[in-house]
Amino acid sequence: MMKNIEMQPMKLLADWSFKPKKINRGYSGETLYIGLGKKDGNYIFEQRPVSDDMIEKFTGGRGFGLRLLWNAVRNDTKWNDPENEIVIAGGPFCGITQYPGAGKCYSVFLSPATKQTYNSNAGGYFAPFLKFAGFDAMELQGKADRDVVVFIDGDNDKVQIFESTLNDINAYYVSEELHKYFAKDEADQRTISVISTGEASRTSYWSGMNFSFYDSRRKAVRLKQAGRGGGGTVLRDKGVVALVVKRTHFTGSENNPADLSVIQKAGASLHKRIHDHDDEQCRMRAVGTAHLTEIMNDYHLLPVNNYKFGRHKDIDNISSWTYTKHFTQGMADGCWYGCSLACAKAVDHFQLQTGPCRGKEVIVDGPEYETAAGLGSNLGIFDAVWTIEANFYADHYALDTISLGTGIAWACECYELGLINKKNTHGLELTFGNKEDLMELIHRIAHGADDFAVALGRGIAEAKVYFHEHYGADLDVMTKIGMECQGLEASEYRCQESIAQWGGYFLTLKGPQHDEAWLIFMDMVNKQLPSYEDKAEALFFFPNFRLWFSLQGLCKLPWNDIEPTDNGLKYKGIEAAKIPEHLQNYLDIYGAITGKPLTQEGLIEQSEKVYNFERIFNLRMGRGTSAYHIAPDRGLGPVWEDEWDARAEYFDSKLEEFGSDPKGRSVKEKIELLQKYRRVQWEELKAAVYRRRGWNRNGIPTIATVKRLGLDYPDVVALLEKHLRPEDEWESSVTEMKAKA
Amino acid sequence: MKVLQVMAEKCVQCRECMSACAKVYFKEDSPNFSRIKVIDKTGFANLNVCSQCGACIGVCPTEALERDAGGVVQLRKNKCTSCLMCVGFCPSASMFFDGSKQSEPFKCIACGICAKNCPVGALVLMNVPNN
Amino acid sequence: MIKVNGSPSEWYDGMTVQNLLDRENYSFRMLSVWINDRAVGKSAFSTQKIPDGANVQVIHNISGG
Repeated sequence: MMKNIEMQPMKLLADWSFKPKKINRGYSGETLYIGLGKKDGNYIFEQRPVSDDMIEKFTGGRGFGLRLLWNAVRNDTKWNDPENEIVIAGGPFCGITQYPGAGKCYSVFLSPATKQTYNSNAGGYFAPFLKFAGFDAMELQGKADRDVVVFIDGDNDKVQIFESTLNDINAYYVSEELHKYFAKDEADQRTISVISTGEASRTSYWSGMNFSFYDSRRKAVRLKQAGRGGGGTVLRDKGVVALVVKRTHFTGSENNPADLSVIQKAGASLHKRIHDHDDEQCRMRAVGTAHLTEIMNDYHLLPVNNYKFGRHKDIDNISSWTYTKHFTQGMADGCWYGCSLACAKAVDHFQLQTGPCRGKEVIVDGPEYETAAGLGSNLGIFDAVWTIEANFYADHYALDTISLGTGIAWACECYELGLINKKNTHGLELTFGNKEDLMELIHRIAHGADDFAVALGRGIAEAKVYFHEHYGADLDVMTKIGMECQGLEASEYRCQESIAQWGGYFLTLKGPQHDEAWLIFMDMVNKQLPSYEDKAEALFFFPNFRLWFSLQGLCKLPWNDIEPTDNGLKYKGIEAAKIPEHLQNYLDIYGAITGKPLTQEGLIEQSEKVYNFERIFNLRMGRGTSAYHIAPDRGLGPVWEDEWDARAEYFDSKLEEFGSDPKGRSVKEKIELLQKYRRVQWEELKAAVYRRRGWNRNGIPTIATVKRLGLDYPDVVALLEKHLRPEDEWESSVTEMKAKA
Repeated sequence: MKVLQVMAEKCVQCRECMSACAKVYFKEDSPNFSRIKVIDKTGFANLNVCSQCGACIGVCPTEALERDAGGVVQLRKNKCTSCLMCVGFCPSASMFFDGSKQSEPFKCIACGICAKNCPVGALVLMNVPNN
Repeated sequence: MIKVNGSPSEWYDGMTVQNLLDRENYSFRMLSVWINDRAVGKSAFSTQKIPDGANVQVIHNISGG
């Protein structure tokens, strides 16, 4: 144990030794189960085997997470029942060091926000170290009888549970203390990774998990996030303050791949490509994903004032060039070894102006694009320093910056419309651009300071009901302007002008985030998806393509935030969007790790299995049907006159495209008309997409689909047979009869 | 610091330097294991070997690359994670790898064995002032 | 008149690819330009003139994950 630690020594509550299985071809073939008991101190540990069927059907990562969670819960399990689990899994690529972006994992759990499964992506060193310790996945079930720290000791092959002595559960404090607690000396801190949450987890459904890695040059703990879906809320509910893993020794072939040379060649060539061309492409090494702010502004895609507008005159204040000045340049900022895209940017020596850490000089991990927009333009705030401070506290308190940003933006519009007032907000003026009061609101949400802050921190879906019942706020209006679906807030892109992206947000498995599809350019600018069939094909292909990364332990950014310079010249149409050379790298490396060759068709099939299983799991939890795929008005177009007037010529021409003459109509009329026409388009899109995905009219996978994918387990078939109705079939004899009549 | 001085115009492409290097460090006379590469470019000899410029040092996430007391950039295998970022970022592509012997990459450490074996004096180990 | 991604668009004599990108605010860096089905290299954007009546495609790649 190092010196200079504040926390007291922790009492050991449980101690379990295991014999790890050696990793072979990307898998150890075992998962770790940790049972915390039912608040009775009955801690259980198990090594569980991974079956061939599990690898064949679920591959790894998110797939393993869903499979293990399915086995762990009952149909009526709620997110805060002890049976709920947090399952953390990487995948066969996880832990290789040669190719950029191979340290990712997914955390899968029943979500307090969405009331179904959520799966949340994170970087950092946790998953590779967990794997090197001998585990393809880790299940955390039950509830501890007191606040605990779980320590997976990958050096000594044991798992220990300690009574936590950390008197502050916020992320930087917990992570910094535990890195020191379990390290021999300063340099040894890089052999440790900590999963933590924060204060917000006590009362907010927006609370996520932080995954750490140690930055040797800065001599500081860095944080990545499994931000969305309320995973932190679940972790807190289980009484876990932190999960710690330690692993000192590993080689460049720890995954025991079938052919290391293939991986080396692909890795070295991508490192060189990034070295040579990142500067003139996305500038990830300089500014990370925050390179997008001014670009989104140029295309009217930057969310401004709760997605009302897509551009703002003060964009320079939050441009990538502004952020470049804040981020320390030239640092080795990969969130796992071998990531030369190095996009985990940080602001060093940042002095906090507000809150419990006011006056302290800290390191801020970010902002990334989502935070720059969500806790920035979407709130009407164009001040990078404000955003950086908001970013720090969001990470420290463990508040997902996307949900927080979109949620507060919605609350601001409710306030400006007079739906809620200063009395309701306990003195806060929630107007767009009100830096002081909005920062104060973030603190109050994290602290659970009052009923308003707690209600808002539950998410738009529940907050609007609370606001309606307690403040008399108009439910219909709040729903129209709430960028939320399935209980999750939308991420920070304006999808209004791209029909395909309506689907990319509102026809997803877990809620409106762009993990599945980002089709705005392809649809709106390139115009490569003219028909509904084209859009449906893209909404089949890309979600499956992108989901594949979540099975492997891979980050998507090295796939498409850097490309071969001739990619757009060599490949036409949608083929270019796949970045064929990089896709080939992934297929080659998959074969080189596992010894099993993989084609593009095989890749899609691996994903399709998990994609449909997740859909069926949603159905099992009482959701997962067409009724839950709802697009709010704000997601389809203007809701108020100022939005129409901001681009009057453009929107008038959109109305004309429907054969409707804008002349002589009031703006209010035009808005209603456009919404009406777009609703029809939305229904057509939904039908085309469901059909292409092998689902029925109600959005439920058919028996034929499930058989084709080998998911026809008895319990799956029984569940489907309960919900599949003849009238929901595409060629339904019922609809035919109705048509004849 | 010690640096390998290269006079390519003297090189006769016998590749004795490559053999000597590979045999010393990897016990096998194969061009893949040499830290100096002699390439024929339309009849002219092109010699690729580390100039100790140090561009790789900042790229390494574990600080496994560092200058020793003699100014030579050394790769400390006990810190190396075999990520090969130094390979991709070397301005002269002088960091090499071959996974069949070790996963870590390797580079010239200015030991002078190649210079001793060069029959025409195209390679000379020199002491140059530290920058 | 020219066509840009299928839609009619104003043209003027001497218009270069870069002129078109600036006018449309196509500031995304990972895009490729095709004129009448022939690819135009990035280094030629400022010099390559667009002929009248051309079918121009400005293909933006996806990014972000």
